[in-house]
Amino acid sequence: MEITWGILIVIYLFTAGVSAGAMITSNLALLLGGNDFERVSRWGAFISPFPISLGLGVLLLDLGSPFNFYRLFMTLQVRSPMSYGSWAILLFTLLSVVYLYLWLPQKFQIIGETKSLEQWKKRLAKVIPFLSVGVASYTGLLLNAAARPLWTAPLLPVLFLVSALSTGAATVILFSALSPWQRARHRELQLLTKADALLIVLECFILLVMIVMGRLSSLSIAEAYGSMIYGQFAMIFWFLIVGLGLIVPFSLEYLELKEKISVRWTLPVTIGSSFLVLFGGFFVRYIITFAGQWSRWF
Amino acid sequence: MTVRMGFVIITSRCIDCDACMVACRAENDVPIGKTRNWVKSSGVQGEFPKVKEVFQPGNCMHCDHPPCVSVCPTGASQKRPDGIVIVETSKCIGCKYCLTACPYDARFANPETGKADKCTFCLQRLEQGLKPACVQTCLGKSRQAGDLNDPESVVAKLLAKYPSRQLLTYVGTGPNIYYIDDVVPEIPEGN
Amino acid sequence: MSKVYTWDQLFSRRQFIKGAAAGAALGVSAGLGFLAPDNMFAVEHSALKTAANESSELQKVTTICEQCVWRCGVIAKVDNGIVKKLEGNPDHPNNVGKLCPRGNAGIETLYSPDRIKFPLIRAGARGSGLWRRASWDEALTYTADQMKKIKDKYGAKAMMFNSTDNLSQPFFEILLKAYGSPNYGTQRSLCFNAMTTGFLYTYGVPQPGTDYKNCKYMIFAGRNLAEGISNNETQEMIEMIARGTKVVVLDPRFSKTASKATEWLPIRPGTDSAFFLAIINIIIKEKLFKKDFITTYTQGFDDLVQEVKDYTPKWAEQKCEIPAATIERIAREFAAAAPAAIAHPNWRTSNFKNSFQTERAIAVLNALIGNWAQPGGLIPDQEINTAKLGVLSHPPFPQAQGIRLDGVPWQYPLVPLSYGVIQTMRDNILSGKPYEAKGWLISRQNPILSIPERQKTINAFMKLDFVAVIDIQASDTAYYADVILPESSYLERYDGLIPIGSKIFIRQPVIEPLYDTKSSLMIYKELADKLGLGDFLPYKDERDLLAKQLKPFSITLDELEKAGHYVVPNFKKDHSKDFEFQTSSGKIEISSSIMAQMGKKAVPAWDEPPRPPKDHYYLLTGKTAQHTQMFTQNNRWLLEVFSENRAWLHTSVAAKLGIKTDDDVVLESDVGKVTIKAKVTEGIRPDCIFMVGGFGHVSKGLKSAYKLGASDSALHKTITDPLSGSSALSETFVTVSKA
Repeated sequence: MEITWGILIVIYLFTAGVSAGAMITSNLALLLGGNDFERVSRWGAFISPFPISLGLGVLLLDLGSPFNFYRLFMTLQVRSPMSYGSWAILLFTLLSVVYLYLWLPQKFQIIGETKSLEQWKKRLAKVIPFLSVGVASYTGLLLNAAARPLWTAPLLPVLFLVSALSTGAATVILFSALSPWQRARHRELQLLTKADALLIVLECFILLVMIVMGRLSSLSIAEAYGSMIYGQFAMIFWFLIVGLGLIVPFSLEYLELKEKISVRWTLPVTIGSSFLVLFGGFFVRYIITFAGQWSRWF
Repeated sequence: MTVRMGFVIITSRCIDCDACMVACRAENDVPIGKTRNWVKSSGVQGEFPKVKEVFQPGNCMHCDHPPCVSVCPTGASQKRPDGIVIVETSKCIGCKYCLTACPYDARFANPETGKADKCTFCLQRLEQGLKPACVQTCLGKSRQAGDLNDPESVVAKLLAKYPSRQLLTYVGTGPNIYYIDDVVPEIPEGN
Repeated sequence: MSKVYTWDQLFSRRQFIKGAAAGAALGVSAGLGFLAPDNMFAVEHSALKTAANESSELQKVTTICEQCVWRCGVIAKVDNGIVKKLEGNPDHPNNVGKLCPRGNAGIETLYSPDRIKFPLIRAGARGSGLWRRASWDEALTYTADQMKKIKDKYGAKAMMFNSTDNLSQPFFEILLKAYGSPNYGTQRSLCFNAMTTGFLYTYGVPQPGTDYKNCKYMIFAGRNLAEGISNNETQEMIEMIARGTKVVVLDPRFSKTASKATEWLPIRPGTDSAFFLAIINIIIKEKLFKKDFITTYTQGFDDLVQEVKDYTPKWAEQKCEIPAATIERIAREFAAAAPAAIAHPNWRTSNFKNSFQTERAIAVLNALIGNWAQPGGLIPDQEINTAKLGVLSHPPFPQAQGIRLDGVPWQYPLVPLSYGVIQTMRDNILSGKPYEAKGWLISRQNPILSIPERQKTINAFMKLDFVAVIDIQASDTAYYADVILPESSYLERYDGLIPIGSKIFIRQPVIEPLYDTKSSLMIYKELADKLGLGDFLPYKDERDLLAKQLKPFSITLDELEKAGHYVVPNFKKDHSKDFEFQTSSGKIEISSSIMAQMGKKAVPAWDEPPRPPKDHYYLLTGKTAQHTQMFTQNNRWLLEVFSENRAWLHTSVAAKLGIKTDDDVVLESDVGKVTIKAKVTEGIRPDCIFMVGGFGHVSKGLKSAYKLGASDSALHKTITDPLSGSSALSETFVTVSKA
């Protein structure tokens, strides 16, 4: 078929993941790391509302009938991932804005008493991760529900979740390392980088399992994965995703963690590796979206 | 018994003239560049001079379990009690989810309305007791349509007499276009 | 002087989109949206009605299609003056309720943004595409003045007239006869002159019918009913195949008819007569013919026995590359099925100089098995069994002065005057022999794209003093005209009545003309008036003419318009003349008297066709179901289902040249060169290239079709069968290379 979901949908899938990932990073840093990880938590909170808002914006642009958008929220179609996903995203976006407010410096917190806000921050941090996991993995369910060979993989939501966590963490690393203000400490970055490296390994593993399962599956599905590993999407897969998106950033992070990188180069390497993680994450969504629509049953 | 509208298409009677596609365009004002139905060709198979070519007309399969309906986030895509799958355009937001979900690629985004568009079984004609436009015009009587559950219908009579196949049944859609590849000397009388 | 327009200005798309049709087009799709599943039909219908602008009873008007020349019955659904849908008329024998893709796309022909909307007079050099708008009076006066000037200065013969196969053609013929010109051109010689002359000089009937319904064995050798759709015959062919009738297709290309047939025989082009002569050889050798029939109704059988002695299947295999065993088998099967067996007269078998012989062999083969007027065989002429319309009396025609430019009959004695040899007419315009032609009036024809060697035809047009074209769109020929008289489309006009058997059908306007256009009936009439020849077309308007044609019958025009057709009561079929053959001998002429008179071999004989030299291929042309000759390529609905023509190449040829499907290839013949997309297939002989004809338009007034695909006429050489006058299109050989 002709590609009906284009680059705007890829952006939407990607940004939803980044927001969810950044949110989870923030929540966990707050709950598990406390004050030692304050900067990372704060950056996560500051970041998370924005990518998803951008995503929703472009999603709106992609709609054929954008003024009918409200129709999404006049019903709940339980069988449609897009329907419950939209509600989840709506809720997530609202909560992420509230959460951001809770992380604002005191002078900007016009409403509420500082102490109770602190409590709310913790309470929200305990609740939002569930929603975030939902938002991150729902995009996989969204594709699962559309009967296309490449999208039948049950691991698709897991892949998107892991990729979301990885890109979310990378975004937090990127901002907190670059920022002149509230710059993250070495220890914070070290731990985040470690987590990110692990996620990359996990992502590689999931991709491997998906491909092996896909290739062993029916002809249409095998062909669909074939398009990724040796067909028309192979360049994107091997070069942009596996190479630049997974192996290179993992190697850089590994070297960083083993302290093989001279101090002068630490910052550029950190920035570079987290950027590449984002880059790779984007193309994971891209390849799944495009190769999925290209794939057909026969 | 409930009504279950569907098509029976006799491939041996199709000459790939595409009259069905043009008739549909006229009947349903399908915009140029898009189509609600099609005739696919197997291409010339085999080696010269031992070759063959088969034509397979199609359109929305009005599935028993239409993925386009289940994925629709607003309830615009619906399966009617008579089995016909339609889009209630006032509810459609143009997300194109249903387009990606259809394994037969039977839907398109209407560039004039921005909404999902597809075969409606020519509802406006059914109401007047007419066959869908593609069926009406078919030179080879290859396309037949009617209530599959009515034993007096042409489609049911054909299915009772000839072996048939459906497309992509393993995807679980339960398509309601039945293809007969055998030679069919006579189309039975019926509803 | 009024404003000068270019094509772009004349046919701006905006103008159309603003029009009524587009607004209505949105109606239905929007209407459907309000459908709710629970209230099924009711809601939807009212929504539909509202969307379609409240009022409307859908009006149904019965008329006749003109997307090709087959004349199918149409019922047009009209909603507030907008044609919404065309459907086949179940009462019409030519299509029994069905329409082909082209018929269905008639709405787009009507609402095409490229229609010519008012009379145009050329305002720049010929072919420059500069025009000015003229009133009808000015355009017709200008045309008549030019025609009078030519007649006064050079004689009536210097003016040529051209038209083919449309309902108003008889009135065009009256106009040209009244004017006094002998030069009448049709497209027949580019079509199937070999078939019509072959059968005419065998049975005295140019085109006998074929009883598909009862036929048990059919051999097609150039009748591709699945792609050259003749609606009811195509339907009958499908039924025939579904019934299990054995259908053998001889075609160098795997056509869609071949894909449906029992057997496809990829015969070497131009050698069909070897196949048929060998079949005749077997039938005679094995005494499978109908002796009584031959004795009673034919002449020259013994000469045939002598002639075909050496045309053995073995011999034929060398020529046509169909195994001798296959030929023998088919001969026996064919004879066994007799008389319910037909070697079809075909259409496109007229592609070689030997095609007259091929058609004669086919005609004779049918005679041998005695299928004439038998169930499942050939059907005698229907003329006698057709209701006769009222005729208009007019003064006697003046004697046409001078011989014809196209060589009929002085160069082509066998070609009927009403067919002509148009390619020779074109050549003689250029040569100025036997005299100089000066003007050309063309109604609904497109010689620039139809006659071989397009460049020569354009040169011929440039040489003329005056060219007037009557058409609904800016055809390539209209593009090179001096004046375009815009005709109303077939959905906006009347034409002469059509009797088919005992029924009389009418083409009538289903809507008022959208633009400042007229029917050909009125264009001819008003032109005749301006030429001072008004008495020859004695009618006030179309309805006046039709009423006069209806005079013998007890029905008024109003009634006929409403009913769509009229059945002549108590009309009895007369079969008493079925076996009175209108040949010189009064018999079926296995041995042709006329050929004998001309000192030629009188029985069908082998005539070796040329073969392509090294690295050259036969260029084959043919039809597609989605287009009509060179007339519909600008129809956007049809372009949706057939977007452009391609050059079919066999896989082995493509591999040798490194060509893939959709690559551009260059085809080059002795006379021209085109670039066209390739279609690589196993479904064609490796020594052939095939392309659908009619694409590659040069008129910028055909916005969608301009330069789409490639024109076969740019490649075709001008080779004429001296007997039938047929253009031997497939004697053009081409080279292929990657573009």
